[in-house]
Amino acid sequence: MNQFLIALIAGVGTGSLYAMLGTGLVVAFRGSGVINLGHGAVAGYAAYVFNELRTSGELYLPWFDIIPEWGFLQTLRINNLPTRIHVFDFEMYIEKPPLVPTLLISIGVSVLLGLMMHLLVFRPLRNAPILGKVIGSVGVLLYLDSVIAVNFGGQNRSSSGFWIFKPDMEPVSNFLGLGGTIPRANFSMLAAAVVMGAFVFCLYRYTRFGIATRAADENEKGASLLGYSPQLIAGINWVLSSVLAGLAGIIFLHKTQPSLYATLVVGALGAALFGRLTSIPMTVLGGVIIGMMSGGGVSLANNDWWPNWLEIEGVRTFMPLLVIILVLYFQGDKLPIRGSISVGRQPNAPASNNVVVGTIFAMGFALILSNVFVSKWEAVLTTSILATLFMFSLTVIVGYLGQISLAQFSIAGFAAFMMIRFVGDGTLQRPDDYYVITGINMPTILGFVCAVVAGTLLGLLIGLPALRIRGVQLAVVTMSSVLAIEELLTKSRSLMGEGAASIQPTPSNPSWFGQYIGGFNKETFRTDYWKYSLFLVIITALVGVAVVNLRRGNTGRRFLAIRANERAAAAAGINVKNAKMLGFGISSAIASIAGIMLAYKIPAVQAENFAIFSGLGLLAFVYLGGITTGYGAVVGGLLVAGGMMPEFLGVHFGDVERGMINAVGAVGLILNAIVTGGEGVALLQSDALGKGPLALLRRNPDEDESSEADEDNATEGASV
Amino acid sequence: MSNILETSGLTVTFGGLNACDKVDLTVPKGKFVGLIGPNGAGKTTFIDAITGYVPTSAGSAIFNGEDIGELKPHERAQRGLVRTFQSLELFEDLSVKDNLLVAGYDTRWYSFLLDMIYMPRKDKEVEEQIEWALDIMGLNDVADAMPSDLSHGRRKLVGVARALAASPDLILLDEPAAGLDTAESQILGGHLREFLDHDMSVFLIDHDMGLVLSVCDYIYVLDFGKIIAQGTPQEIRESETVKKAYLGEEAGEIQAQAGERMTSLQHDQGGQDD
Repeated sequence: MNQFLIALIAGVGTGSLYAMLGTGLVVAFRGSGVINLGHGAVAGYAAYVFNELRTSGELYLPWFDIIPEWGFLQTLRINNLPTRIHVFDFEMYIEKPPLVPTLLISIGVSVLLGLMMHLLVFRPLRNAPILGKVIGSVGVLLYLDSVIAVNFGGQNRSSSGFWIFKPDMEPVSNFLGLGGTIPRANFSMLAAAVVMGAFVFCLYRYTRFGIATRAADENEKGASLLGYSPQLIAGINWVLSSVLAGLAGIIFLHKTQPSLYATLVVGALGAALFGRLTSIPMTVLGGVIIGMMSGGGVSLANNDWWPNWLEIEGVRTFMPLLVIILVLYFQGDKLPIRGSISVGRQPNAPASNNVVVGTIFAMGFALILSNVFVSKWEAVLTTSILATLFMFSLTVIVGYLGQISLAQFSIAGFAAFMMIRFVGDGTLQRPDDYYVITGINMPTILGFVCAVVAGTLLGLLIGLPALRIRGVQLAVVTMSSVLAIEELLTKSRSLMGEGAASIQPTPSNPSWFGQYIGGFNKETFRTDYWKYSLFLVIITALVGVAVVNLRRGNTGRRFLAIRANERAAAAAGINVKNAKMLGFGISSAIASIAGIMLAYKIPAVQAENFAIFSGLGLLAFVYLGGITTGYGAVVGGLLVAGGMMPEFLGVHFGDVERGMINAVGAVGLILNAIVTGGEGVALLQSDALGKGPLALLRRNPDEDESSEADEDNATEGASV
Repeated sequence: MSNILETSGLTVTFGGLNACDKVDLTVPKGKFVGLIGPNGAGKTTFIDAITGYVPTSAGSAIFNGEDIGELKPHERAQRGLVRTFQSLELFEDLSVKDNLLVAGYDTRWYSFLLDMIYMPRKDKEVEEQIEWALDIMGLNDVADAMPSDLSHGRRKLVGVARALAASPDLILLDEPAAGLDTAESQILGGHLREFLDHDMSVFLIDHDMGLVLSVCDYIYVLDFGKIIAQGTPQEIRESETVKKAYLGEEAGEIQAQAGERMTSLQHDQGGQDD
């Protein structure tokens, strides 16, 4: 029992981090109505900047050199974009740069990030529909994560933070007579979180700025009528939020690797929701509670009676999700949903009429390429096609049905691991494999079908919250589920077999109708086998045609009706709950197929193949290509990192880092959300070529006329 | 069984206030019934209650001989109780015709599979119904346009057409004439009685006395959530209670206007006084 209490109290450290990040989330939300999924990455960037200044004296700016080293640019002396500034000269290993200037510079970078987020992303998106705002924050997350990877290499850092937060201080022993020891830093962390919370609380309560923020939060139109500029208020709050994130990142440098902050935002989301996105004290409390629950849960999981299929790390990641689900389930309808002054249109989703021609053309093109290409390029081609196949699942759930699920790629991973389990026969697949694959020895096709069913069922489970919540709240739940799925299911050794937690070998001999269709070529030892490409092209074409046809038929019309207006959809006799479940089912089945096809291609899969940033990257590129159409998925597949377009550019212009591709994708994603409202590159051909590209830019003012009616719809739709 | 809709003692309470207070109302099959009342009388709340958008606190609603009190909105719609909305609520991302198709076709569990191979169910009756609905509302020329490209009045007609496309047994029209220009009002008003020839009964809410008196077979008058009068258009026209309710409102309005004039006068005279 004492052990358990000690574990609870030990969780306060992480809980304080959640509390601090949660406070920043609430600030940004109150200022602008956006739940910033990239908030953790903002903290991470500032933490890296601080750490880098303290170790090498270099200041890394939040971008990277995008100017290629082409001859003519060199002659014009357009060489590079400055990405770093040498700030401190000091003798390394002997002395360290001064603490206070370092801290001030790091905060300055946070201010810069806050301004960038406001001016470049969320201000232009202020009238965008919820999907656009969520996509914007996904863009921020993806961009910062990519820049962190490029600038700082994402390696572990030896800590360089403030001494009062250092873990190697003498721990408090026998705390409250419980017997165990508790790190002394936990108390200073908690104190820091409480001070930060109290500061923001007082700011909102007692200053003119705070009152203006609260007014704008409750009624944007009213506040602007009183002479407050909602956008100025939003901007100040973004800067404040970003600075709070940066401070949190620096304070917790000792406890956490900065690369982890981006995903720790899940706990912060739990804390912010606990405070109903409004109350700072409740947010701080919520963060601490989630941290304690994680600590306590892990302590329970260490017991003998704990079922060992529930992995300890899974318990830790599940706790924030649990809090989020509970809050949304019981309080979801009371959470503030801020109506901005006008709401823009959802991306247009036209039905396509030339499905057969388009498909034959795409298939033919892919097959010709596959025959022209050798070795490496065949693998690149199948990477693009796999991405397209997966993106079709997002077309259905996000594009047609308007439900922002960020967990679909985890479902792909789960299905891939399930397939391996279903067909596993307990033998070593390749001589150099480290693990055997154990399972129930199904034939390949049966294993495929069963895994798709399993993935679909998981997808339906994740879709359950969508019956009660929508919009950004659903994005929060699904993003939080990603980590829980990975740790609880995909990486679970007892569920998925010995290799699940590290490297899981795939079946070496997958065969459909007697044909070997694995991607691994047993002659060249590369993943370039032509039968796999053919098989993949056929599967992708079938799925693509099905997805496009859905939009042409009544099912797609119903999905779009729900996306537009759930209240009116019910009046038209649509069972909204069933239709949402159907959408999640179809989308998850497609995602599962994509995951399994990926597992057929490569000799071994890892849970990391399906990690959160890969999934968000795919969402970014399909959104860039066009989330509402089949063409969009094809274009998105070509753009994805490791796919045709970047590799092609890489050959001609020198290799580009994978992180850069994702960052470019993130920028494109945000631009697309702002300029085309999310219709994407694919729709430019149909829309813009007719009216001229400027028509797209001009479209926004037209929408203001109908804005009032739309706003009413939005608020009413949300209250059903 | 001659009544399509029958409510008895239907009550809707919002925080202690009875928005609908023990409303007894019947719509006979094949008839055109109207409900009038001044603003805020509880007319829309009544439609919301019988279509399942707000919970009732007492009373019952019988539709086609079935108690629908516990059914979800979409279940009521599927049974043939279809409404329009005062505030448009169109599917903005779908063309006008697609708006109607959504309402016209119901789905089976396997429909999505047929859709995937592009073998959608074509039902001649539904198609004809949709053609008729487009025709009668004068929307043929904009069938492929998006609702956002239409005038407010025509969007309103799309809303009515969408309800008609569902081949309802009873169509509930919530102030369909509000916001229509003269031409659009004539399209609507001229065709309302035709709805009855298509196997449906009509329940019309409006505060435009002229329209209601000219098309309805039977009229209920609602004020402060209570039915204060009912009868044929002739009876309503002559009813003292109705006159009083409307007169009362008018008198109130005159007072309000007078009060406004006074306050503005004061405002003009002296800012220093405050």
